[in-house]
Amino acid sequence: MDEKKKLVVSSAPHLRDEGTVGKAMRDVFVALIPVSLVAIYFFHWYAVFIIGVCLVTAVLTEILFRKMLKKEPRLYDWSALVTGLFVALLFPATTAWWKAAIATFIAVGIAKELMGGLGRNRFNPALFGRVALIIIAPVMSFIDQQFSALYLNLGTVDSMTQATPLAMLHQGMEMPGYGQLFFAFPGGALGETSPFFLLLGAAYLFYKGHIGWRIPVSIVGTVFVLTFFFGANPLHHLLVGSLTLGAFFMATDWVTSPFTDKGKIIFGIAIGILIVVFRLGLSPTEGVAFSILILNGFVPMIENYTLRPQFGKVKKAVAVE
Amino acid sequence: MEVKAFLGGLHVPHYKSFSEKQPIKVASLPEEIIIPLSQHIGAPCQPLVKVGDRVKAGEKIGEAESFVCAPVHASLSGTVKAIEKRPIHSGQMVECIVIEVDEQQESVGYANNDVEKMSKEEIIQAVKEAGIVGMGGAAFPTVVKIQPPPDKPIDALILNGCECEPYLTCDHRIMLEKTDELLKGVKLLQKVLDVEKAFICIEDNKPDAINALKEKNDDPNIVIMKTPTKYPQGAEKQLIKATLGREVPPGGLPFDVGALVQNVGTAVAVYEAVKYNKPLIERVVTVTGQNIDQPGNLLVKIGTPLEHLLAECGGIKEGPAKVIMGGPMTGVAQSDLSVPVVKGITGITVLPPAMAYGEPEYTDCVRCCKCVESCPMLLYPNLISIYGEVGLYEKAEKWNTMDCIECGICAYVCPSERPIVKFVQQAKPKIQKLQASRKNA
Repeated sequence: MDEKKKLVVSSAPHLRDEGTVGKAMRDVFVALIPVSLVAIYFFHWYAVFIIGVCLVTAVLTEILFRKMLKKEPRLYDWSALVTGLFVALLFPATTAWWKAAIATFIAVGIAKELMGGLGRNRFNPALFGRVALIIIAPVMSFIDQQFSALYLNLGTVDSMTQATPLAMLHQGMEMPGYGQLFFAFPGGALGETSPFFLLLGAAYLFYKGHIGWRIPVSIVGTVFVLTFFFGANPLHHLLVGSLTLGAFFMATDWVTSPFTDKGKIIFGIAIGILIVVFRLGLSPTEGVAFSILILNGFVPMIENYTLRPQFGKVKKAVAVE
Repeated sequence: MEVKAFLGGLHVPHYKSFSEKQPIKVASLPEEIIIPLSQHIGAPCQPLVKVGDRVKAGEKIGEAESFVCAPVHASLSGTVKAIEKRPIHSGQMVECIVIEVDEQQESVGYANNDVEKMSKEEIIQAVKEAGIVGMGGAAFPTVVKIQPPPDKPIDALILNGCECEPYLTCDHRIMLEKTDELLKGVKLLQKVLDVEKAFICIEDNKPDAINALKEKNDDPNIVIMKTPTKYPQGAEKQLIKATLGREVPPGGLPFDVGALVQNVGTAVAVYEAVKYNKPLIERVVTVTGQNIDQPGNLLVKIGTPLEHLLAECGGIKEGPAKVIMGGPMTGVAQSDLSVPVVKGITGITVLPPAMAYGEPEYTDCVRCCKCVESCPMLLYPNLISIYGEVGLYEKAEKWNTMDCIECGICAYVCPSERPIVKFVQQAKPKIQKLQASRKNA
């Protein structure tokens, strides 16, 4: 048939908005660039190196696993790159590159692709990868011994010796000023360096409609109220550790958070409670990561209890005015 | 008077500018008209003519023999060429009466009744004889709708002039150009239904129509209502919710909450049927889109082939195009341009190659909730699409697939490009079978 006269058919609707998973993931990547730059400012080549290792590992892992599973690699959806960058931001700059690489491998390979690929993973891949390293600590110490000769020295950077603010808080040391903690303070993981620049990225995602207010507000609110109630300094708890990264970027992950409005709030409050339990009662290290992962597992249950009634289920008699 | 919006819904681009300023123009006569015996929801008509018969314009050629049915009429005079199965816009093959149009046009001639003096029964009879169906797209026989069961009293008549579907402007033009007929039609409907209050609802992106109606209307019992511009504001249940604050229960009909919704075009057709005994043999159709040379609103004889109408509007600019019967959210893409314009066709949208995509390559649901947030029926389209995709129809039923109004918002927003409406359309007949087998068990 003449190309000019050809008619295209498909099912309705015949209009689509421009949003795609790939564009949304790319926006998340973009939103993480400011905080990544802050990390690079503090940790120089160490930060660049860790981020690079994670991104490359993420891409290679996705290609490897999807080939193994006989699926087409889907790098264009940006999800591998986003997971890679997330993993990098969860590590301190001093982390050995193989640790970061193994975490990324677990994140993209196991937590995402083996779970069925993007959309079917129950747990946040990046957090899963990060926490897996803690769980397999005995194996890691063996690997560390084997690889120790391969540790790259990229020069001396003063800020690397800085104690993490979370540890300082836990040990009752004197804390840096609020402004410093909020805008930029070295110490801890790359993604902990600046709540301000994280919020900048989160504002972009909010503007783009990729994240909502329910989850982050309920996490932050719960942590604030509970730490205040237990006599800790709520502002310090909000500003240190990966709380901002967790509340605004990790817990809001589409795939691993509830799809009901009420469920989002319950999910956020429960994460907030767990964070405070970890921070005040247990070891504060990776408390945010554990809290979010634990609640990821409860998502189907939360959804079941928070379903909305369909249109017309609420009966109300209204008179014509 | 303004109203609150319903929950869910979305602002979709309007694309109304192609045709909204174009006055209604009478389309030229085609050489052949194709009158399907089933242009409505319900049983098909029985043909009253045979091949070789001469028919006049306005002559009844298909009789309604069951209650939910509407007769069909010859829209032009000519000779019956064939009575055979022909494709219609839905893709089905339907028994059609094909008429070769004469050079000299002859009409049955119309009355000029004094509508004030007509009784309810006479009005109902006139609507029935004229073969009027809902002209907003659903094509439900109007005569059935205006005789609600006696145990369901109606206290509010809603005239739907929202026209929330992108591109389409036929209702907009009707409200502007046939304002008097519309108001007279509303009064007839009020009389038949014994309803005091009538609401004419118009989205606030058509201020000229709102003003025109407000100026001409002198009846305090007819309220001109400005509704927010939000898709799908014109969906029956959403419109009732926004106008009256009442929710039609799942599986229910508007009269369950004392409401009745009619399209503004239907009201005009009712007036013409009652006043002149004029059958529904022509309607206003918007021919529009980036890819049609001269977009406009045309008064088209029922049965006119689609290709005649496209040629009348300067033809398709460039291929490969997508020709949609109806608007782009709920319309049906056509593969055959010989199909006729029927009573329920509101418009023809011709999309350019850049917008004419085929079935999208979709990926897994990423649970972004965009469909959940915008579903006007407050369903969970994400789950329905997952169960529909893999054929778990009992699960799909449990998640209220049957209550989906197929407005298309879910698929419109889906970042994974999932054809959610298609999954729903595939699931519905399967679920009906399940329900039937359960009844028989």
